[in-house]
Formats: sequence, C-alpha cells, structure tokens
Amino acid sequence: MRSSILLFCKRHHLLDISAYLVLMVGGILLLLKGAEDQGYYWQWFRIPKFLYHFEDGRFIAGPILEGLKITLNITWISLILTYIIGLVTALMRLSNSLLARGVARTYLEITRNTPLLVQIFFMYFVIAPILDIDRFTAGVLALSLFEGSYASEIYRAGIVAVNKGQWEASYTLGLGTYQNYRYIILPQAIRRILPPLTSQAISLIKDSSLVSVIAIYEMTMNANEIASETFLVFEIFFTIAAIYLALAITLSQVVAYFEKRYRVVS
Amino acid sequence: MSAKQFGDYIIRVDSIGKTFDNGVVALKNFSTNIRRSEVVVLIGPSGSGKSTFLRCLNGLEEIDTGSIIVDGILLDDNKKNRLEIRKEVGMVFQHFNLFPHLSVLKNITLAQMLVRKKSKGEAEDEAMQLLQKVNIAEKANVFPSQLSGGQQQRVAIARALAMKPKVMMFDEATSALDPEMIGEVLEVMKNLANEGMTMVVVTHEMGFAKEVSDWVIFMEDGMKVEEGTADHFFSDPKMDRTKLFLSQIL
Ligand SMILES: Nc1ncnc2c1ncn2[C@@H]1O[C@H](COP(=O)(O)OP(=O)(O)OP(=O)(O)O)[C@@H](O)[C@H]1O
Ligand SMILES: [Mg+2]
Repeated sequence: MRSSILLFCKRHHLLDISAYLVLMVGGILLLLKGAEDQGYYWQWFRIPKFLYHFEDGRFIAGPILEGLKITLNITWISLILTYIIGLVTALMRLSNSLLARGVARTYLEITRNTPLLVQIFFMYFVIAPILDIDRFTAGVLALSLFEGSYASEIYRAGIVAVNKGQWEASYTLGLGTYQNYRYIILPQAIRRILPPLTSQAISLIKDSSLVSVIAIYEMTMNANEIASETFLVFEIFFTIAAIYLALAITLSQVVAYFEKRYRVVS
Repeated sequence: MSAKQFGDYIIRVDSIGKTFDNGVVALKNFSTNIRRSEVVVLIGPSGSGKSTFLRCLNGLEEIDTGSIIVDGILLDDNKKNRLEIRKEVGMVFQHFNLFPHLSVLKNITLAQMLVRKKSKGEAEDEAMQLLQKVNIAEKANVFPSQLSGGQQQRVAIARALAMKPKVMMFDEATSALDPEMIGEVLEVMKNLANEGMTMVVVTHEMGFAKEVSDWVIFMEDGMKVEEGTADHFFSDPKMDRTKLFLSQIL
C-alpha cells in the first residue's frame, strides 16, 4: 500500500519533470524556428564585446554591464526606500491618528490604481522640476513609492497576524508604542513578512527596467539601443533576460538562507 | 485571617459604564473601592463583564462614563497618567501571553530595562530572585514554548511582579491549565496575598476565593449583584441570583 503510494508520487514527479522538459525544449525550438522563418542569422560571437572587453590587459565593462551597474544601483536604493516606505505606511494605517490613516490611504489608492509608467512620467515631468531633482532620483522615487504601497500591505498583514495578547501584555507592562513594535511585534512578524518581501525585491529588479522611459541608461535601455543599432535582437534580449533571471534567483536563494537561519534561532 | 491590616483606598471606581462598539453593554454604573493589601475576588457567569472590568482598570479598554482613580492618579486621556497607571497595575492573563521569541529571563528583564530604566545586571538579578520565588529558576534560559502551562503562568506572574506593581490583577489565571497545574499557580498567588499585595482576582476557584479573599463581588450583566466578606458571601448569600450561581458552581 505504502510503496504503491510512494511509486505513484515518484511517477508523478517524473511526469512533472518530463512535461517541463518537453515544454522547455518545445518553447526553444519554436523560438528558433520563428527566428529562422524571419531569416534570422544568429551571431552570438558579437555579444561578448557588449558585455566587456580588455584594453591593455585592463577590464572594461561594455554597455550591458555598465547598464547592469545602474540597474543594481536603482534596485538597491529603491529596495531600501521601499522597505522603509512600506513599514511607515503600514504603521500609519494601523495608528489611531485619523490624519495618518487618511494620508496612508490616499497614497495607497493613488499608487495602486495608476500604471507605474504613468507614475514615473508624472514624477519626472511634474514633481522633479518642483523639487529640483535629477532623473535618477526621480526614477528611484517613483519606483520606491510604487513598490512601497505593496510592501505596506505585506507588513500590515504580518503585524496584524501577531496574537492580540502580545499587544496587551506589552501594553500592560508599560511599553510605549515604539518599544512595543521594536521589541515585541516586529520580531514576531518578521518571519511572516520576509518571504513576500523577497518577491517584492524581485519585482523591483524587473520593474527597474521601466525607468528607461525617462532616459536613464540602465541595462534594458542600453540593450534596446544596441539591438536597434546592430539588429542582434534575439541575442541581446536573451542575454539580459538571463542576467535578470540570475539576479532574481540569487536573491531568493540568499533570503531562503536567512529565513532558515532565523527559524532555527528562535 | 482577620489580623490583616488594610491601608487607604488605592483604587476608586466610581459608577463606570462601558458599551462596546457592537452595542454590547459590558459594564453598567459599576462602583467599588479597593484598599491597599486587600484581595478582591470577582465572580459571575460568563459574559458578566469581569474581564472588561479588569481591562478598564488599567486602560486596556476605555470607559464611557464614570471615573477610575488608581493610587491617586486619574485614569483619563492624559497619556502620562495612563502610563503611570499601567506601570503600577500588573496583569496576568488566562493565556499567559508570554513573548514567544524571548527567553524566560528576557521576558522578565525587557520591561524592567525599557520602562523602569534598570541596567541589564540589575534587571537580571531581580528576574532571578522572582523566578526563585515562583519556583522556576532553573528555566531562566529556555523559551516559553518549552514550558508547561503552569510553568508559563508562573513566569508570567514573575514578569508582572518585576515591574514592582502596587496592584496585581489576575484574569482567570488558572482556567487554561491542566488540573494538576492549577495548584502550583494558586500557591504563588496565595503567597503574594500573604505578603500584602493588593489583588483583584477573577476566578472560578471558589476554594481560593474562600481562603484568600477579603472581599467578594458577584456580578451579572455588567452590574454588581452582591458583595461581602468571603465568610458572609459564601455562607449567607442574600440574593436569589447569588444562591443560584453558587449552587451551580460549588
Ligand atoms: N472587544 C469586545 N467587543 C465587543 N464585545 C465585547 C468585547 N469584549 C467583551 N465583549 C462582550 O462584553 C460582555 C462582557 O464580556 P467579558 O469578557 O467582560 O465577560 P467575562 O465576565 O469576563 O466572561 P468570561 O467569564 O466568559 O470571561 C460580553 O457580552 C462580551 O461578549
Ligand atoms: Mg473573562
């Protein structure tokens, strides 16, 4: 009985894997065929020089790696801002102050119900001149505000899930609101918050490509330019897709590691 | 028993009322005064407002009418007053509410350091003394989840005592415990009463009420039905409602 279940599970697994392989191979063949039908001439050998080259033995980053640097800069600054904005917004929504709750709600409604692209344009063409900020800052701000609204919901759900008795015990012992969050509530909420916040970081990496619309020369923008100059469309976009993929997978592995460690400690 | 000396009134509750947002009236025109070192036991059927009364005393719930004065401080909207009262009134919950992410020791030192501004060393000394007092010193470095219910509740009592409160409130502190663990917690509560701690206790343990309490209040539907010394209350209740309740519970 038990072994037959085991066998079934294993068979199921095998079926899954073979289905996956068939899909992948099929997809790739389809792409190649599509390219061939267009009379596409693969020139992978031309790609490396857009990544990097050596000059007098010195490593020189090509436009794709230069763009990657900007992408990473946009991402890590936006990520930190996203986490801060998300936390502050969540705390505002949970606070007793009508004003704080109102401000948070308005911000959430606006950022969630308009396209990110429009928000980036708005930030660049309307807000940036008023605040006198450069395009990079404008792009980062727009991204952070957009992702921050989703992060706030993640924080809020994690905070609300902490048993009400914890608030009451901490209140009764005389802890203030800040101390309560800092020492009692957030340390317990963090384990629930961490996994979805990782997905947030990954969407941020991907969404960072959207700031190319305000002429920030990040990776996608540079790739686009190379592709239109050289017609290496497939090669270039396969390359940057692989880079985005590698970034996202690395990030989720790092967090999975921390998550495990955190669980063991407490 | 009667040799006990009481002080002045430390808690003055004057005709308080509490209606929840959903329209449930939990307290109606409830008044009572409690003296220093007095042990008051509140009894009554489920939903009669016992927990709500305790929670109003330390500001966990807001009262709609009436007034509460604790150790000369009026419990009003003033944030400083409220904090002062929270520090003076310790509370023990039915479900312990220990902090699961902190060790037993840290559960007890945290508020001492944050609220009473004690150094880590002082707080830990105090914590170890209290753990000894509740007979569980050997568990200082484990996490709450590794303790039995009775042990957790004793830690919770130690945690509340570490704030050096002037009043201790117990809301069905033994109701969630297995029968064999009730005794160890009641023992700690009895010792506390004998040391002269002012206590407000909600309990279904009539043995404890008879033996330890100085004053018993029976309430129903948010109102006081009958009150008296333990002797009078249990041996010679006046109201039919009280008699019925006692016959059901004893
Ligand atoms: N947060 C709340 N919101 C709405 N109604 C509440 C709330 N807390 C308590 N009540 C209601 O108020 C009434 C009094 O509740 P309370 O918990 O004070 O009773 P109790 O005497 O402690 O009962 P028990 O013996 O079951 O603990 C009940 O009808 C209860 O349903
Ligand atoms: Mg209750």
